[in-house]
Amino acid sequence: MDQDIEKLLEKYYEGETTIEEEKVLKNFFQNEVVPEHLKTHGAQFGYFVSARNELPSLTFNSQLANLLEPPKQAPIRRFGSWLVRIAAGLALLIVGFTGGLLLQQRKDQGDIAFLPKSKDEVSHQAIKSVLAFEKVSETSASERIQAVNQSYKLSEVDQDITRLLVNTLNFDPNVNVRLAACQALQHFINEPEVSEALVQSLAIQTDPNIQITLIEVLVSIKEKRAVEPFQQLLRDEKVMEVVRAKAKEGVSELTSADV
Amino acid sequence: MDLQAFTQRILPVQGRLFRLAQMFLGNREEAEDAIQDVLMRLWTNRQQLETYQSIDALAVQMTKNLCLDRLKSHHKQKVQYNVDMTEVQAAEMTPHRQLENADSEALIYKLISELPEQHKLVLHLRDVEEYSFEEIEQVTGLTNANIRTILSRARQKLRESYLKANDYGSGY
Repeated sequence: MDQDIEKLLEKYYEGETTIEEEKVLKNFFQNEVVPEHLKTHGAQFGYFVSARNELPSLTFNSQLANLLEPPKQAPIRRFGSWLVRIAAGLALLIVGFTGGLLLQQRKDQGDIAFLPKSKDEVSHQAIKSVLAFEKVSETSASERIQAVNQSYKLSEVDQDITRLLVNTLNFDPNVNVRLAACQALQHFINEPEVSEALVQSLAIQTDPNIQITLIEVLVSIKEKRAVEPFQQLLRDEKVMEVVRAKAKEGVSELTSADV
Repeated sequence: MDLQAFTQRILPVQGRLFRLAQMFLGNREEAEDAIQDVLMRLWTNRQQLETYQSIDALAVQMTKNLCLDRLKSHHKQKVQYNVDMTEVQAAEMTPHRQLENADSEALIYKLISELPEQHKLVLHLRDVEEYSFEEIEQVTGLTNANIRTILSRARQKLRESYLKANDYGSGY
């Protein structure tokens, strides 16, 4: 054994030993019993073995981990490259536009379904439905005024519309709606029965505002048949002074035109 | 290379780097500081690491160069061998033997640090780290024959100076 070790030592100092042979030497000198004449070789092998057991302290590892960690986090939190950002922006734009288009389309379709072909027919039906006598309680005054005003935009009116307007003029509970109907009828004065209806209405109306408007309308179309109801107004004590003056004026104008 | 891959490949090497740095610099704090520097440099250049054949060899080279630079720039005298190194001694040794060993190991360290840099490095890699000759070639760039010569000279020189220091005279 000792002789083997001596041979190995010789090889060792020549730099010819293998790692395995060097391990044998290290083990040998780690033992308690080393022959006296070989002891002087022990020191360096002892150093090699204990030097190999050296490791950095535990705190070193945690310090190192702290140093390595932060630079890693920053880039990962970022939201992709510029390309990804631009793509995301474009995607948002596209979603917005298609959403808008779809909404628009749906609205158009809805309108088409709701409205029949021609605009006139639309308004005819709309006006009729709003002004229908049975619905007075359901519709508001402003809605009825709007319907009345729409009537003058119609290119052609039929008897249904003029009758509705006359009815509104005579029976609507709201003064303003009646006034609007009166003004609307002025536009359709050439339609049959309209001037007649206005003359008859003069006897029914009690509101001075409407009475005055009616008088003005009748005078402007020079309706001779209105002279009789004008004179009735003049005789009526309950009618306001202004209205009576207006009626008097109307009578004289109509009769003078006659001459 | 992400942090996990880096840790898996580099950290097992760090003990080796630490021992090398400690051998050159002579104390624990400076050695830790040096290898921390080396590991940080490796980490910041991690993109290029893949192109190297052996990251181990690269890391060892970097550590060696860094330690030599530090020694030069500090104009350091040879540092006394750190006695805490002997704390890891095997427990079965008697206190007397331990003390004796600590003394002789400290002496060996001192003698090693008196060797030329190249000899120091080769001796350390072979006898402490148990590197194969191929691995030493990778780190030092020397030829196999050169390494054997250097190793042989370093071992003999160490032996001689140890005997001289202990007044044993020459011979085995």
